[in-house]
Amino acid sequence: MAREQYVKQLDLLRESIFSLGEIVELAFKDSMVAVIDLDVELAAKTLALEAEVNNLEEEIESSIFDILALQQPMASDLRLVVSALKITADLRRILGLSMNIAKIPGKIEGKHIKPLVDTKKMSDIATYMLENSLQAFKTQDVELARVAASRDEEVDMLFYAVWVELIEMMAKDTSIISKATYLLFLIRYIERIADHCCNICESVIYLATAEKIKLN
Amino acid sequence: MTKGVQNVSQVQIKVDNLNLWYGEKQALKNISMQIPKNSVTALIGPSGCGKSTFLRCLNRMNDLVKNCRIEGKISIEEKDIYGPDVDVVDLRKKVGMVFQKPNPFPMSIFDNVAYGPRIHGADRKDLDSIVEQALRSAAIWEETSDRLKSPALSLSGGQQQRLCIARTLAVKPRTILFDEPTSALDPISTARIEDLIMDLKKDYTIVIVTHNMQQAARISDYTGFFLMGKLIEFGQTRQIFQNPQEQSTEDYITGRFG
Repeated sequence: MAREQYVKQLDLLRESIFSLGEIVELAFKDSMVAVIDLDVELAAKTLALEAEVNNLEEEIESSIFDILALQQPMASDLRLVVSALKITADLRRILGLSMNIAKIPGKIEGKHIKPLVDTKKMSDIATYMLENSLQAFKTQDVELARVAASRDEEVDMLFYAVWVELIEMMAKDTSIISKATYLLFLIRYIERIADHCCNICESVIYLATAEKIKLN
Repeated sequence: MTKGVQNVSQVQIKVDNLNLWYGEKQALKNISMQIPKNSVTALIGPSGCGKSTFLRCLNRMNDLVKNCRIEGKISIEEKDIYGPDVDVVDLRKKVGMVFQKPNPFPMSIFDNVAYGPRIHGADRKDLDSIVEQALRSAAIWEETSDRLKSPALSLSGGQQQRLCIARTLAVKPRTILFDEPTSALDPISTARIEDLIMDLKKDYTIVIVTHNMQQAARISDYTGFFLMGKLIEFGQTRQIFQNPQEQSTEDYITGRFG
């Protein structure tokens, strides 16, 4: 096949996105376990993943600029490179939000003000969205990308339900405001993570079909 | 079958089921396409795919090739250019051509540009303004206005090519065919010719054969991909280079060919 080195560069780029996705997925899952269990040790381990992601992100960006400047990709190659750049940015944001989540256990003393049942549901759906948006990228599965993104609505509904519940709780008992505020932040972070998963699904659809659509 | 661009507002060139043989060898197979007016259309494809042969059909340059046989129909401005009443000299006046290597005549800059208008009977008193206008349109007036009597061959390669474009413009064509016009030029001269081509489409319909894919992407509005004598895909350049519909187009423009 012609342009073997170039094809290898593109394969490597794909592989790097998969690796980045795996680390970010791990960071989000562990940060959620850490915040639900208020596990400070696991939270610290999760926070340590940021450096690894930073290095990988730098490598990916540098490889994308090399491909653009030196290989002038066209057609599906161009779409891969553009999608890779956008997905990397979304994964970086998901990692940032996961880091914010992982910082919460260190700030809450004692127990949560309520069982985090709906918050756990939100996080389960967001995890499903993240896993499947990355799987859709791997297999360029447009249908899977659409299905994964469609769950964003459930996350939004849960977000508003928990939001209202927390506001009502704070109105009744002002002593919980500090702890409740962290939970408000937490649900906001999860809701944003789900939005970034939708962006990844949009990039997958662009990669596979060249169609630019909005999913959230 | 007509490929790609359909329902364009104004069609300058319409090709229907064009077939061409050089002796026994069929070089073009059932080509159908519609080239929109005032646009740049790039023809791309590997060597020997038929794109230059196709280009040369558009002003009947293949008439000069022995054993060449053509079937099908090409209409330019709704007139069948292979019809019995067509004056080929007049056709080539309307459909000008610029070649791969600059080919100025061994005469002065002025006479190169004035050559076409003279043989088409232009009034001597009009020649100065025709030459100036053509040189201005070809973006070479500033460089030549003070040495119009100098030999054209004293110009650089890039200037010679722009002079050849001026020579083509001087007979007021409506369509201009470019056959790899920058393949012999350096990057700066290439950029000037590309700018010029994009500027000229205001007034002319342009068809360009190029091996330089980035050039096709940069300057054309429509692109046709040829392979083994067939028009595989024809569409808006933006679409062809971002989302080609045919696997062989994808393979060619991403360099996976061969």
